[in-house]
Amino acid sequence: MGRVARALVVHELSERTRDRWVLVISVLFALLSSAVSLYGRSAGATAAKLTGPSLVTLVSLLVPLVALVLGHDAVVGERERNTLGLLLSLPVNKLEVVLSKFLGRLLALAAAIAIGLGAAVAMASADNRAVLMQLVLPTLLLGAAFLSLGVLISAVVRRQLAAASAVVAVWFLLVFFYDLGLLGLLVLTQGGIAPGTVADLVVANPAGLFRIEMMQRFAGPDVLQNLGMTASPPGPVAVAAIWAAWILVPLALSGLLLSRQKVSR
Amino acid sequence: MKRLSLGGVSVRFGKLAALDGVDLEVEAGEVLVLAGPNGAGKTTLIQVILGLVRPNQGQLFVDGHERHVDNAFKRVLGYLPEAVAFAENLTGRQVMRFFASARGVKKAHADEVLERVGLAHASRRAVRGYSRGMRQRLGLGLAILSDPELLILDEPTGGLDLEGLDVLWDVLAEWRQKGRIVVMATHDLTLAERRVDRICLLRAGSVRAVDTPARLREMAGLPVRVSFTLCEGSAQAEALVERVRRWGEGHEVSRSDGVLGVEVEPNGLLPLLELHSGYPEAVSAVRVEEPGLDMVYEHLLEEAS
Repeated sequence: MGRVARALVVHELSERTRDRWVLVISVLFALLSSAVSLYGRSAGATAAKLTGPSLVTLVSLLVPLVALVLGHDAVVGERERNTLGLLLSLPVNKLEVVLSKFLGRLLALAAAIAIGLGAAVAMASADNRAVLMQLVLPTLLLGAAFLSLGVLISAVVRRQLAAASAVVAVWFLLVFFYDLGLLGLLVLTQGGIAPGTVADLVVANPAGLFRIEMMQRFAGPDVLQNLGMTASPPGPVAVAAIWAAWILVPLALSGLLLSRQKVSR
Repeated sequence: MKRLSLGGVSVRFGKLAALDGVDLEVEAGEVLVLAGPNGAGKTTLIQVILGLVRPNQGQLFVDGHERHVDNAFKRVLGYLPEAVAFAENLTGRQVMRFFASARGVKKAHADEVLERVGLAHASRRAVRGYSRGMRQRLGLGLAILSDPELLILDEPTGGLDLEGLDVLWDVLAEWRQKGRIVVMATHDLTLAERRVDRICLLRAGSVRAVDTPARLREMAGLPVRVSFTLCEGSAQAEALVERVRRWGEGHEVSRSDGVLGVEVEPNGLLPLLELHSGYPEAVSAVRVEEPGLDMVYEHLLEEAS
């Protein structure tokens, strides 16, 4: 990584840490996750077992939204402020700019995740802590995938307001409506879709992949079968490939788009 | 860098030809101004030099060799964009330090540059509280931060007060003296006239003329205005007015508030002044005004179109 890219990562991180929105969301995440954890600790053994799955639900709703919002102005914000030209006059190429912006924001997101999950782990009972620690890496991957999508949206649209609307739409689509859509498809086809295809479609969505992965960790490897999905879950290589695709492809597309667009408004 | 040239550069945005076969050369120690109406192609030309726009045709040359705008090239250039802007929540010092760290410049030097552009007192204030002129000064500071061999300034005079303009003129003089290259787009030709070496007039993406301000003035051949402050009540003054009116048939001659004004072609100036010397008691002062460079520029562009 070159000097400009490093400076840009640090600059992005320090800008985000000054962002009140990031601070508010980190505190909110910490409060909610510690509340879930505290409830699990105080309400007996059954509730303690549910702490992990409850946190999965919280993370799968909140982290994609935070990540998308963090990424939404990465490129379009610079363009709208008319600072992109100045930035690109530095000895750095457009893909490096995209990657540096992503990395700086990912570090800020990682800090927010650390605060949120850290609070949950701190409040959890001693035997539950190790279980909850398993959430850290998949949460980071989930955040990175949605952040990458946010950056792509910021490279596609020409106005920050449009980017904000788009990220909210993508959040609804991938976090809420995607599974409902699959369910609807199954009903419409009266189960005519092969179980393997359904499983593939579920894990093709980063939010779905995160949920399935975490369910397997918290409820054991047979959870898919127990839920009526008879196909075998994706192996670690496939999982890694899906995460890599969700993180890297949008970034590469963002770099490509930026190199083909006019720099000024 | 001894010479920067553009050879046959054309840029199209859809059907619009933003630049059309532009050939241009700038030598070390020269300040070249790009002038032209809005949409003439000044900013596009600058963006080609910066590598922000890829030409459909033509090349950039440095010292006679074709040059791709890569990171090595960007290391030797400094740029002030038109209507420069920054992240509003950062202080001037933070902005300067970010660019210093990106360009490998020491923090102490970044602080010196802030001092040089007259922003040391405001360096800890957020940019959102800066006036347009202060932003322009900060932008100029960023452009000169790494002591670049090639300085590119897009409308640098916008919003600058007299003190800010002095900083700008100092920078131009220093860069010229160091044998560096400055390319500057501006509409303030009259303001810049005495500080620049050559002016490139652009219209509709084409170069219409490139020359020194003096040569462009000659090319335009616009009339010069001569004002005689008359010694009212003197017989010689009335005689002079009469004489000038007869001499100046076909020229614009006016008399108002004790001043006789005559517009003459540049080659008519000496005969007119000689004529006045025959009436030593008629006039208390004589003033000769050349047309502003902005008028020269408008005339040349009209002529070209």
